[in-house]
Amino acid sequence: MAGLPKKTDESSTQKKNPELKGTFISVMLLGVFIIVSWAGVYALFMSR
Amino acid sequence: MHLHKYEKIWLLFGIGSLIVFLVVIGVGAFYKGTHPQSHMMTIDPENIEANEAFQPDNLGLTKVDDKQYIVNVAASAFNYDLGKNDDGSLVKKLSIPKGSTVLFQVTSKDVVHGFSLAGTNVNMMVEPGYISSYETILEEPGEYTLLCNEYCGTGHHLMGAIVEVTE
Repeated sequence: MAGLPKKTDESSTQKKNPELKGTFISVMLLGVFIIVSWAGVYALFMSR
Repeated sequence: MHLHKYEKIWLLFGIGSLIVFLVVIGVGAFYKGTHPQSHMMTIDPENIEANEAFQPDNLGLTKVDDKQYIVNVAASAFNYDLGKNDDGSLVKKLSIPKGSTVLFQVTSKDVVHGFSLAGTNVNMMVEPGYISSYETILEEPGEYTLLCNEYCGTGHHLMGAIVEVTE
């Protein structure tokens, strides 16, 4: 039973938000790249 | 379920773009009538003359109306049959006035060919057994190369013609 309080400690540290700023920026950069490429091809198609 | 704030943002961004793309496709397909170039129009590749459009006299450029043209093409390894000139030689160059609406109807007698008018949106796969068609308005004067962009065999690079859009 000595392990019980330790377990709650672990779960409370897991609930803390992980640092995702770098991931967020990379995901958004990739998203913007895909959208810009798509819009470029679409504009080319519409202009021809 | 716990989601990180950033996760919520990029999920919304991803789902949002997915919806935008699907709406664009939906509007194109159901409102604008865009469809694959060989749109359920079938033909016997061994006897394409059975279809009026691909009878020898109807191949090549036909003027339907003022600024309205039809181009019927029988593709085969390694040639686009655009009909014959008055002197009996094969047509290798088409002349179309600018601003014309042109309907390209193409089929293949043998293998899969491409049909690409470089620099325009005319770009189709031509499959034996199907009629590929695309209607376009040629606005920019100039010489356009018509070429095969699906590898069709040893003479693939020889397969081409010129479409001239005149003032």
